[in-house]
Amino acid sequence: MTATLTTCPYCGTGCNFYLLSDDDGRLTGVEPAGQHPTTRGQLCVKGWNAHAFVDHPDRLAVPQIRRDGELQSADWQQALDLVHDQLQAIAEKHGPDSLMFLSSAKVSNEENYLLQKLARAGYGTNNIDHCARLCHSSTVTGLVETLGSGAMTNSLSCFDETELVFVIGSNTTEQHPLIGSRILQAKQRGAKLLVADSRKIRLAKHADLHLRQQNGSDVALLSGMMRQILRDGLEDRDFIAQRCENFAAFAEKLESYTPEYVAGITGLEPEQVIAAARLYAEADRAMIVYAMGITQHSHGVDNVRAISNLALLTGNLGKPGSGVNPLRGQNNVQGACDMGALPDVYSGYQNVADPEARKKFSTAWGCELPETKGLMSTHAIEAAATGEVRGMLILGENPMLSDANQGMVKKALERLDFLAVIDIFPTETAAFADVVLPASCYAEKDGSFTSTERRVQLGRKAAEPPGLARTDWQIICELLQRCGLKSDYQNPAEIMAEIAALTPSYGGISHDRLQGHGLQWPCPDKTHPGTPILHIDRCTRGKARFSPVDYRAPHELPDRDFPFLLNTGRSYFHWHTGSMTRRSHLLDREERFAFVEINPDDASQLAIFARQQVRISSLRGSITCRALVSEKVPAGQVFIPFHFTEGAANALTNNALDPESGIPEFKVCAVRIEPC
Amino acid sequence: MLKSLKREDLLRLLETLAEQYDLQVPLKLPDGTRQLGRYGSGELSLCGPLLQRKPTSLLFPQAELLLSINPDGSVEQPHPAEKPLALFGLERSDLAAIAFLDRFFLCEPADDIYQGKRENSLLIGLTGFAGENSAYLPPAGENCDLELIATADGWLGCAYSAAGKTLLAPFPDSEAKERTEIDQRAAEPKTDSLLKAASRLLREDKVPDAFWQEIADRCILCTGCNLVCPTCSCFCVQDRIRDGKTERSRVWDSCQLDAFMREASGHNPLGTEALRTRRRIHHKLVADVERWGEIGCIACGRCDRTCPTGIGMFAVVEEMINQFG
Repeated sequence: MTATLTTCPYCGTGCNFYLLSDDDGRLTGVEPAGQHPTTRGQLCVKGWNAHAFVDHPDRLAVPQIRRDGELQSADWQQALDLVHDQLQAIAEKHGPDSLMFLSSAKVSNEENYLLQKLARAGYGTNNIDHCARLCHSSTVTGLVETLGSGAMTNSLSCFDETELVFVIGSNTTEQHPLIGSRILQAKQRGAKLLVADSRKIRLAKHADLHLRQQNGSDVALLSGMMRQILRDGLEDRDFIAQRCENFAAFAEKLESYTPEYVAGITGLEPEQVIAAARLYAEADRAMIVYAMGITQHSHGVDNVRAISNLALLTGNLGKPGSGVNPLRGQNNVQGACDMGALPDVYSGYQNVADPEARKKFSTAWGCELPETKGLMSTHAIEAAATGEVRGMLILGENPMLSDANQGMVKKALERLDFLAVIDIFPTETAAFADVVLPASCYAEKDGSFTSTERRVQLGRKAAEPPGLARTDWQIICELLQRCGLKSDYQNPAEIMAEIAALTPSYGGISHDRLQGHGLQWPCPDKTHPGTPILHIDRCTRGKARFSPVDYRAPHELPDRDFPFLLNTGRSYFHWHTGSMTRRSHLLDREERFAFVEINPDDASQLAIFARQQVRISSLRGSITCRALVSEKVPAGQVFIPFHFTEGAANALTNNALDPESGIPEFKVCAVRIEPC
Repeated sequence: MLKSLKREDLLRLLETLAEQYDLQVPLKLPDGTRQLGRYGSGELSLCGPLLQRKPTSLLFPQAELLLSINPDGSVEQPHPAEKPLALFGLERSDLAAIAFLDRFFLCEPADDIYQGKRENSLLIGLTGFAGENSAYLPPAGENCDLELIATADGWLGCAYSAAGKTLLAPFPDSEAKERTEIDQRAAEPKTDSLLKAASRLLREDKVPDAFWQEIADRCILCTGCNLVCPTCSCFCVQDRIRDGKTERSRVWDSCQLDAFMREASGHNPLGTEALRTRRRIHHKLVADVERWGEIGCIACGRCDRTCPTGIGMFAVVEEMINQFG
């Protein structure tokens, strides 16, 4: 039995485990790392099963080219030549910005870095993005404005020191289980727990106060709490005076958010708003934890601003056991952002519109670089649907299931002149591709990944890839070489050396230094020990900024024809579009069917019984799935996870976008339910 | 008869074992923990804390190919191992767990896959002052072929089987004639009395349903408690078709999963988290006692260590005794 230490491929917590393999090289199991600071010998159910999909027979093992309407086996040379020739031809004929590159929060930092380099330096476009657009783009936009950095401000170890955890829009025990468990441990040792979530999540059972505000009413709730904090004189005046700016304009904006007004919007009692304000503000050290319940709204950035305002108002920043803690959903969504797989920044959030930054990268890469910022992925899909984007390269993403309004995504993918997909399984998106390139999965390659607490850690190769599959970085290097760019990297460590040279926050990071437990960025030089807590004496932007916001209703609310509010998200046992977990025996067995959570009162009124097949329809589409009758959802709301192709939640969701972050409103749209 | 071994002798013994067996020894892993791995494939770590991966996983792995069915219907078995297994460096709880699994898998009809690994295999205990920071580990007893007992200045060897006696034959006799001379601390561990007290509470039906609901509310369904448990033996069967060939494997299962007992209709006799949590504890402390005459927990502490929310066996047992004892 061989044991290879690596980093978990699922959520952003960053657990480490050993992949165990037998003499034939077959993976036989997982063992959590006993001494790792996040893992501590513990894993969630997906971690314990992270070996299970790796050698699934469905793995893509040979390159494929579409011929006569069907994907057929090809050799690497043919397939790579075709990808390059097609992308180059489209760029020449229609301009580089008619191309779009989708990178992946599942692949390594090195691979994300190379793909954004390929898009920018190889094909001359800043049209590169990845699924952070769908999860934490609101966070990056909001927190960069208020604090100067979009990252989680504190570390996971801070849960051991906090007096109160305020969880809003995060089903932490299911989506970041090893963080959820730390919250439960904090509660056990006496910390307070405040939960704001319309669903009765596990943490709610342990909360000192559980607020079930209407989906989409968070700005009103948070503003009401902040107004009350000021009324009670519970704000941190020294912190506000010394560390913040724009307080007066912000405070003025709160005036109208009386408990009664807020109660009317949120569906809460006025007393609950007051109690929540006091509970949070009376703690000396309080952590705010949030995730998609905050970000995935047409006003997601405003939600984030309100969260940031609340932390600043009470001085909960730059000290242990406090902070604004957005939990990253994917194993490397933080890293993909850090590496510049975004349309407006190079690695380390260096702006493409900044001539100095452009010159730096242009000199390093030896080519001219485009000046204008590129398309967000959500806008790019819209542009593909209208024919403005014509060629696309998608690395390890599955927008057919993950993006809002599947009907439009389908139209977009069908309309493309050329689509290349690099992936490990034949996904719903790969079915539209002209070329499909087989990639190595996490267990079959070396590379670094950055967790939600900014911890850069190594993933290590434990098994051989299937058939002819190659690592993503090797595939991208082949395209870099065809573009006449440097492509002779011998290994990911060499790529990291280039990243460190160009990226101040990663300046001191090398694969040698990442042995052990990794490093938390910023890590600007080779002797720097890393940074567990951000914004200690000053914020990244200097003074923290209060950002006044007003409540705006969601884009589409229930009405007579579509009387239910649809909430979407993930379940505990499956991961995103299910390509890995639905091919992991125990996880698949646990949840085998697409389902909709419906409140018993609603089910009774509609004469729907448990496990019955029902039809759910919105303005955009219609699906069928099984009814899961549960008090977890409030009456009037239904919840559908987006893992299942046969009951795709995103056939229903609304692609109304936040005007600043471009994130779709996954958490609110209107649907109708009928028994089948 | 006890034998006396110096460190060089012990290393010589390992060399001899490696010639005849697929020798698995405690190795130091990069994060500082230890687990069994093939001799020579990593840094030997004879003494130290409990092995991270349960050693029983070498006899009953997390995922294991059972057979393949070819498109023509013929069946292939996995190729047998070239050498029998020798597991070196087991402490008392590890050996108790293997004895527990032996009884389960080898009772008629015997599990032939397990039997194939266990037959001709060799178990070597490592006890005495061999724990973390030279902590004392109680004697292994006769659940092994031979036991090596760390003393202040070397090792004492004690053979229990013919194979063990042959292996120890080349080494000189020790001055200590009886192992009781070094077993002064072999009193019953405190853990055993806690488990017995909890078992009694359950058998006397003194633990109400509300207790299980409260524990279950804290469970995040990681299944780790089952997966790290050396006496858990539940598995499910997974079939995968690759190029027309069906690969049948078995995979560790967990009674904490809803689908563990769920029927095809969707009905589940263990349909709530509270019932499943109760089962986890009840099975070890009551069902095993009724079936085998002894508690099914060998008190290794792995489930308490791996539980993210502090509801492993001993945490639950202590709460139970505090509330109802």
